[in-house]
Amino acid sequence: MDFTPLTEALASKSYEKIADICDNLLLQAAAEGVAYQDQWPYAIHLLGHFYVDDINSARFLWKSIPSEIKESQLELAAAWKIVQKLWTRDYGGVHEAIREFDWSQEVQGFVAAFSELYTKRMFQLLLSAYSTISIQDTALFLGMNEDDATNYVLQQGWDLDPASRMLTVKKQTTVTQQKLDASKLQRLTEYVFHLEH
Amino acid sequence: MGSLEALIIQIQGLSSSAGDISRLHVILKQSEDSLRAESTRLSAVLNELDPSTHSLGYLYILEACTSAPISKEQATTLVPYIARFISYCVPEQIGVVPDKFISVCKRLKDQVLLLGTPIRGVAPMLTAVRKLQHSSEHLTTLHPEFLLLCLLAKCYKTGLSILEDDISEVDQPRDLFLYCYYGGMICVGQKRFRKALELLHNVVTAPMSTINAIAVEAYKKYIMVSLIHHGQFSTSLPKYTSSVAQRLLKNYCQPYIELATSYSTGKIAELEAYVQTNREQFESDNNSGLVKQVVSSIYKRNIQRLTQTYLTLSLQDIANTVQLNSPKEAEMHVLQMIQDGEIFATINQKDGMVRFLEDPEQYKTCEMIEHIDSSIQRMMALSRKLTTIDEQISCDPLYLAKAGRERQRFDFDDFDTVPQK
Amino acid sequence: MEPEDSPSRPLIDEIHSNGDIEGPSRSKRPIIRSGEQLDVEAYASLYQGRTKIMRLLFIADHCEGNPGMRLEALRMAYEEIKKGENTQLFREVVQKIDPKMGLNYGMDSAWCEMVDRRAEQKKEKLENELNAYRTNLIKESIRMGYNDFGDFYYAHGALGDAFKSYVRTRDYCTTSKHIIHMCMSAILVSIEMGQFTHVTNYVGKAEQSSEALDPITASKLRCAAGLAHLEAKKYKLAARKFLEAGPELASHYNEVIASQDVATYGGLCALASFDRTELKHKVIDNDNFRNFLELVPEVRELINDFYSSHYASCLDYLGNLKANLLLDIHLHDHVESLYDQIRNKALIQYTHPFVSVDLRMMANAFKTSIAGLEKELEALITDNQIQARIDSHNKILYARHADQRNATFQRVLQTGSEFDRDVRSMLLRANLIKHEYNLRASRKL
Repeated sequence: MDFTPLTEALASKSYEKIADICDNLLLQAAAEGVAYQDQWPYAIHLLGHFYVDDINSARFLWKSIPSEIKESQLELAAAWKIVQKLWTRDYGGVHEAIREFDWSQEVQGFVAAFSELYTKRMFQLLLSAYSTISIQDTALFLGMNEDDATNYVLQQGWDLDPASRMLTVKKQTTVTQQKLDASKLQRLTEYVFHLEH
Repeated sequence: MGSLEALIIQIQGLSSSAGDISRLHVILKQSEDSLRAESTRLSAVLNELDPSTHSLGYLYILEACTSAPISKEQATTLVPYIARFISYCVPEQIGVVPDKFISVCKRLKDQVLLLGTPIRGVAPMLTAVRKLQHSSEHLTTLHPEFLLLCLLAKCYKTGLSILEDDISEVDQPRDLFLYCYYGGMICVGQKRFRKALELLHNVVTAPMSTINAIAVEAYKKYIMVSLIHHGQFSTSLPKYTSSVAQRLLKNYCQPYIELATSYSTGKIAELEAYVQTNREQFESDNNSGLVKQVVSSIYKRNIQRLTQTYLTLSLQDIANTVQLNSPKEAEMHVLQMIQDGEIFATINQKDGMVRFLEDPEQYKTCEMIEHIDSSIQRMMALSRKLTTIDEQISCDPLYLAKAGRERQRFDFDDFDTVPQK
Repeated sequence: MEPEDSPSRPLIDEIHSNGDIEGPSRSKRPIIRSGEQLDVEAYASLYQGRTKIMRLLFIADHCEGNPGMRLEALRMAYEEIKKGENTQLFREVVQKIDPKMGLNYGMDSAWCEMVDRRAEQKKEKLENELNAYRTNLIKESIRMGYNDFGDFYYAHGALGDAFKSYVRTRDYCTTSKHIIHMCMSAILVSIEMGQFTHVTNYVGKAEQSSEALDPITASKLRCAAGLAHLEAKKYKLAARKFLEAGPELASHYNEVIASQDVATYGGLCALASFDRTELKHKVIDNDNFRNFLELVPEVRELINDFYSSHYASCLDYLGNLKANLLLDIHLHDHVESLYDQIRNKALIQYTHPFVSVDLRMMANAFKTSIAGLEKELEALITDNQIQARIDSHNKILYARHADQRNATFQRVLQTGSEFDRDVRSMLLRANLIKHEYNLRASRKL
């Protein structure tokens, strides 16, 4: 089997494309009748799915893997653990699952990239969902120890109340574009014309 | 014997131009029976032909090969041939006999299922669909076969790609039923509930003269997806639903309608009790997964209802109202709903309070304007299409005949310009 | 405050100048006193005929925990029944009476026998007379014969037969007065039977009479109609009917209803179902109805309190009146519902003019806990009767005004996607039907 597209994507760190590449390669291999299962990089395939937050596809992929492979490949089992944590929304558990396994060289970069992405996602979630939050929970969500977590968020402009150990979230104001241009007029004319006829 | 060799030579010779193809077609039709008789020898012969230049001939031979029942060993050899043929064949040639192409593809499906590896058929079937379609709006008989393979092979994401097309031309009504039903199941698997609802709705409201099992199963799923997505369900079907469906569907889906009634009370304990008593029924219908999702969605509905009356509410109160065990559980539920965009709120851990917010969308950004614009464009295209179709039907002789027959005739001698059959 | 015509003003000033809101105000006929126990004798004196007995029995059955009142009611019922000819009711009363009350109120079999014998004789006589009239075919006599039968059965408690007899007179009525008489009798019996559909029926028939009705009859009919609506829980319609009753009614209809009742029923129903303008227009500024309200000053006060937003005192009055109202035979089943509606209206009216309301103050005004108030408000908000949201953290209610612009955009996008979905399904269905039709057509050929 020709894994070049996959290796190229991994090398160039285009992680968001991995899922589609893997899917296509898998279907091709299956169509040709090749016995691909033993060689297939399932762990990377799984990672590809949950990197783009498609937990559903990750779960379906897992269901289609033969059970001998599920049991024998430890790295795959570790990746599946991450998927499970994501599925049950055990936010802190995801970080743990990432950290507790000694990832092979091939996937190390990928896992590290995911970890960073996930932390960023968690931070965004905290920003939008909380007005005040305990240091403990913040550390849990961000997968850091309490001091690191506190420093991280303080740098982003949050406030700390040392007495209650509570952090106050600072919302980031987003600038939204509101430019208009001449093509809008053209379109409005089209609409009115359509309505009249 | 010799005739088979002669046929091969003719195929090789007459496959270059359109005129040749039609002559070849005639010859092949005449030789169908003899081909069938030689089915055992045919697979060897295929090596002499090229699937792309000799698509038509190749197709006839493949079809003859697969016309007899196939054993597992034979399937292992045949499947790659068919798969390769599909990827290399030329649409113009196979378009001459679409039925044969369809039956070959169906055999492929049967064989991969026989071998227990549905995933082998996914990619070939997708290619087959694209080659068979006149346009992306054309629904072929192969669409539902493809979706079925995706479901069995758990390649839901691949299945979704085909569902994005808007269908308006249908070969067989039965294709539509199955397509929408399987499509609905794939959307449910990928949690695309709005699209699932649309597809299932099409099955349930499609014109039908007698009730069919697909419509019944689709209705059951429709009820549950409606509860998950909208939080409510109404038993009244739209006016354009066929009369058999309006009368009879409810009778076959009683447990699900009662599930909906129990859901609408908002009382979680009652709902769970009902699910428990009818567990076997739901399991035998293969709907346990959906039922579980229905139950977990009721927590969401109850929390959403709170946003209508409260500006701020303590986590403890939320836990009490929605019957969760602790404020921490309530916090997790609210957090998940915020993450999924089902609710706008901020949690204040210090005071143990949740503040419900209005939708922050102000409809002022460029993206929103683009979105509205593209929607308008789409609407305009649709209404132009509607007008065209209306004009087409008004000129269709069959329609005019029927409409003309039902017009009042005042005078027998009246000169009626409408063509009568 | 809007500049209003003066009649209402003195009333309000009068209440304020009375100062003391808690104490019962001086009135001419203090029958139902707030907080005080019902004076059974005075209450019963408002009525006559069968309804007096039934009301007394009702009070006796429903005044739990008040044996004194029960004895009083039963005693008066006994005496009243003895004045009449209903042995069935007599037996019932005797059963209920405690032997402790003395021999005077025990079973009097001799009296029963005598009354029953007399009844038999009278019945025979009436039958003979009626048969004679029927043979002679004199319409008026036949009519009166049936009427007499009706009266007879009514007096003896055979209400079904009484009703049938009265209704039989219809074929022999020659003037509209006859018809009205029949209707009034039918209405009376129907009310006693509790069959209010008949009541509505016959009120309608009477009002269709070709001659103008005299004011007292018209009032009576309106009261009867009001009772029927009350029974059917149509409080708004009931209120309107009671409010149209004229003061000439006085005690002319006391075989059914007293003027005090008209005031109470009408006032409470109006308060529960009218909006503010209707309340002012039809109740507070209604000169006719004022005469009724004079008889039950508590009701008058509580209506005015409600209108002028003195909710605490209004609810106080209601609370005080409740026990006695529950003893009223017609109002008993509706007290809870009317009270709930009045309370809800009060809550809604309280919040209406404000952008934000402090729930603590509001809970005080409505004599309830904050938690209870939150639950009540939640129900009203869910029901869309109040447009507001509760800040449970700070205990404030904020009025909520929907952002029209956003709502419009949202609706637009939603309509668009629905149109999209519907048109596409429609095109699909059209395609299928065409296909089906083609198939059928090609099969026929």
